[in-house]
Amino acid sequence: MPERYPGYDVLAKRATPSWNEPTRRVIDARLSIPNEPRFFTMQEWETLTAICDRIVPQPKDRAPVPIAALVDRKMTNDERDGYRQASMPKMQQAWQRGLAALDAAARASHGAPFHAIAAVKQDVLLKAMQNGELSGPEWNGMPAHTFFSERLAHDILAAYYSHSSSWNEIGFGGPASPRGYVRMNFNRRDSWEAVEAKPGHEAAARKANERVG
Amino acid sequence: MAANNAGDLSTAATRQLVGGAVGAIALGLGVALLRRGFTPQTGRETLAGARTHARQKRSPLRVDEPPQVKAARRLNRAAGLLGTSTLLDSAVEHYRGSFQNKAMYTPLIVSALMLAVSAHGTRDKRPIAHGVRDATYLAAALTGIAGTGFHIYNIAKRPGGFSWQNLFYGSPLGAPGAVALSGLLGYYSERLRDNESDKIPKVFGLPAGRALAALSGVGLLATAGEAGLLHFRGAYHNPFMFAPVTVPPLAGALLGETALSRPRRPRRLTRWWLRLTALLGFAGAGFHAYGVQRNMGGWRNWSQNVLNGPPIPAPPSFTGLALAGLAALGLLEEHPDA
Amino acid sequence: MLDEALHSPRGKDGRAPDPLRVGGWMPMRQYGENDEVDFAIVGTGAGGGTLACKLAEAGFSVVGFDAGAWWRPLEEFASDETHQEKLFWTDERICDGDNPLKLGSNNSGKAIGGSTVHFAMVSLRFRPEWLKSRSLLGYGADWPLDWREMWRYYTEVEQALKIAGPVNYPWGPPRPRYPYRAHELNAAALVLAKGCEAMGIPWSETPLATVSAPRGRSPPCVYRGFCVSGCSTNAKQSALITWIPRAVKAGAEIRDLAMAGRIETNDAGYVTGVHYYREGQWRFQRARNVVVAGYAIETPRLLLSSANSQFPDGLANSSGLVGKNLMAQTNQAAWGVMEDEIRWYKGPPSLAVTEHWNYTDTGKDFFGGYAYMSQGPLPRAWVSSLAGNRGLWGDALLRAMEKYNHQAGLKIVGEVLPQERNRVALADEKDRYGLPIARVTYSLCDNDKALVKHALNFMSQSLSVVGARDIWTESDDTCHLNGTARMGDDPRTSVVNADCRSWDIPNLWVCDGSVFPTVGGVNPSLTIQAIACRTADRIRAMAAQGSL
Repeated sequence: MPERYPGYDVLAKRATPSWNEPTRRVIDARLSIPNEPRFFTMQEWETLTAICDRIVPQPKDRAPVPIAALVDRKMTNDERDGYRQASMPKMQQAWQRGLAALDAAARASHGAPFHAIAAVKQDVLLKAMQNGELSGPEWNGMPAHTFFSERLAHDILAAYYSHSSSWNEIGFGGPASPRGYVRMNFNRRDSWEAVEAKPGHEAAARKANERVG
Repeated sequence: MAANNAGDLSTAATRQLVGGAVGAIALGLGVALLRRGFTPQTGRETLAGARTHARQKRSPLRVDEPPQVKAARRLNRAAGLLGTSTLLDSAVEHYRGSFQNKAMYTPLIVSALMLAVSAHGTRDKRPIAHGVRDATYLAAALTGIAGTGFHIYNIAKRPGGFSWQNLFYGSPLGAPGAVALSGLLGYYSERLRDNESDKIPKVFGLPAGRALAALSGVGLLATAGEAGLLHFRGAYHNPFMFAPVTVPPLAGALLGETALSRPRRPRRLTRWWLRLTALLGFAGAGFHAYGVQRNMGGWRNWSQNVLNGPPIPAPPSFTGLALAGLAALGLLEEHPDA
Repeated sequence: MLDEALHSPRGKDGRAPDPLRVGGWMPMRQYGENDEVDFAIVGTGAGGGTLACKLAEAGFSVVGFDAGAWWRPLEEFASDETHQEKLFWTDERICDGDNPLKLGSNNSGKAIGGSTVHFAMVSLRFRPEWLKSRSLLGYGADWPLDWREMWRYYTEVEQALKIAGPVNYPWGPPRPRYPYRAHELNAAALVLAKGCEAMGIPWSETPLATVSAPRGRSPPCVYRGFCVSGCSTNAKQSALITWIPRAVKAGAEIRDLAMAGRIETNDAGYVTGVHYYREGQWRFQRARNVVVAGYAIETPRLLLSSANSQFPDGLANSSGLVGKNLMAQTNQAAWGVMEDEIRWYKGPPSLAVTEHWNYTDTGKDFFGGYAYMSQGPLPRAWVSSLAGNRGLWGDALLRAMEKYNHQAGLKIVGEVLPQERNRVALADEKDRYGLPIARVTYSLCDNDKALVKHALNFMSQSLSVVGARDIWTESDDTCHLNGTARMGDDPRTSVVNADCRSWDIPNLWVCDGSVFPTVGGVNPSLTIQAIACRTADRIRAMAAQGSL
């Protein structure tokens, strides 16, 4: 998949009026979290990392977003959503139970922990979870499909799209305060917005994106 | 209902005072800049006058400056000032429009040229029109008319057509008119120079003074209309925003009266009101500069606020038109029937 | 980080934070807990914040309580969806029913100023007929209010918030001109406009509570697009920067980080004050009147958990309706990909609206109406829609996300019918204060589903006629919560009367979206504020007559 916004980096705007001090502090902290578990056990961590790789397959040509660590911090701080479905345990428990159950499913069908089986097989298991086809005593009544949509995919994707690398990928303007935007009409961009590469014009877009700031 | 409590009101008052102060500073600057243009020729025994005198001595060809040349030079100055305003304003606005269409460079080029020839004309005391100036002014007038057409088309094709939304935020309808007007003023100045000095100056068969008074009066009214629209967009959140919709229209009306009424003089009220209007143009730029500061991030966030804040170069167009009006008064002073 | 306000209260020692100035403070009157104040108000959002202001300005002694923090947006709000979750009510709630609600983000605020700190600023009036929907339109319940009276209070709120709206509003009876002009439309809004024109229905700029020109210390909106994550410039006219500072200046005391746990009653059957938790301990504030303004979940929760031997089913609950008739407006959407770059992250999310299907009664196979608006979800919200509704993940998701800047969408605020089975009750589980948490049961009825179907069809068509591709519809989303303590003319079928005064306990009031008997197809905040203004006027009038 060719990059749609080659060379665009939201972080290049860090020192411009698009970022205020609170934003710099918040993003700096997020970008500097160590890629290691604080909440999850090593076994859970390995499973979680493998899941993250399948839910968000990241490009190889840049540093990967430490998605698992971001999810782990959410658990460490017990940052909840403000609700849970009646069929679900609390957030931390749901994750612990779901990771163990997925791992158990991998061992049952492939004789190996989830992180050790091939990507294709991992996808099959995740798909089965999403379709609610996984069950067993490890789930302890928690519906697999609800865990998948309300916790697993929800938390992993929220973590990934809180990271500036994901914003670069989709051409999002990123932080914007005090400077917001001026040009609002179709196909208009401010000079501090990403340039989209039209097919065949990637080099020009890259050059323009290097000037964004 | 008590929309604001006393505390809010006092901060609002402070802000308006600050705005007033900035406006006053700009006003002072304006006075300084305009002094020469305002000082009646008869009373000019200042340094500047002495300089002019000295220059005249060096140039034996030019004895006494005929009144229509004097008026023409004033008109060159007015056209130049208006041109400066349109140059900067169209530069800002068309930059905001990302120069989406190559034609959007035209008013910049034309206004810049107009600025140059106006500077030339202001210094030129010969009683003959100048080919390059003439052509430039004509080109400006045509550009303005074409631009108005473009802007009308742009608004018409947006969803909502001629709605308030599009009048507020679409291509400004009145802006190209200012380019046309400045071109017309310049073109007029060239026609004036072509007149013989002992006759009542006429342009296009009309008495020049009156026609010029009418033209600048209409220009003032139209520009006030544009300011009124944009200040309505700003909800007249500051009482000073009423100034450009009260002072210039009155000046316009006085000029209209001048154009139509029987010859008489002196027209003290009209003259002073035009001077006030001219100062207001400068003050307006000051107010707008303060307005930019007041937006989020202030001048530090200039890349947004110069574009989304109040347009700083726009108000001096009042000054340009008021100067044209003063030139008309000058003509009428020499030739009451003009 | 930047969460100091969450840990120690700021409204104390005779001063309160001034949210309009960096590091600012304003003097604040303080009452002793043994002072019997005229009004203790629980909640400081659209209902409680407005009422606190109006009552204080009328000369009553007022103490407002809020479980949330007192922010200074200029220095404490980041441009970041994740960090700004600090504005949401994220205490646990349990959701069940056929359509379990998603809470916590778009519909539940926890801050001084309540949900108005992160609302989308859409400020629409009710259609007049909705106040008599049972008699005039054949569904729901009648309100005990007259629309002409409400029209006046709407005007008061619009003026107080300097609503930026269109010069002419296409629907409903004439209204005075909005105090500020409408904002410039972004491309996402123009997609709505073009679609409406192609479908032959009117559209309008959305009246918004964010200023389009300077107002006091509020600069005009910079179109940063993070509105629902909190406004860091104070362009947004939230209760935090409008009603609350006014209330404080008029002598009200507001206590932040103060969680109300129970309302006390005496033998005579009157309420005597509020138990609340602040700075590590339970406290009690005496009051002649208590107003509950905690929104449609916390309001019934407090009324129900204040049950005692005299009121075993909870306070104000002789009708048995406290907690019932919860109405969560439907919030479904149609999304599509445009050839043009849209970049919907710029500007307030809902700059254009059509209320056509609120004001048109023909061509519908359902009761009620809906408005739909242009949209601008930021990446986290957008991925949540994509993954939540379409089940995308892996490469398929990344490919869909890449089209972010070409997406456009239309989303409804849809009316739902009041149903007694949709309710807020107390669960066995306790929260960190030891209070029972809320169990929220929610199921759409056939009428609600028919409305959604109609809306999704219509919006999909209007996207398709302007050239959108890959159109899909989002069927699982709800927004504003209302009902649960409805107002009415009859003590048997309502909880409070037209003045928001409870039928059972004359000095207990409810003033927030809970009192809505029906919900209409518009965002409720303007109506909540208008009702609060009316309630304050009524209280003043009753006090003058000695009937308070």
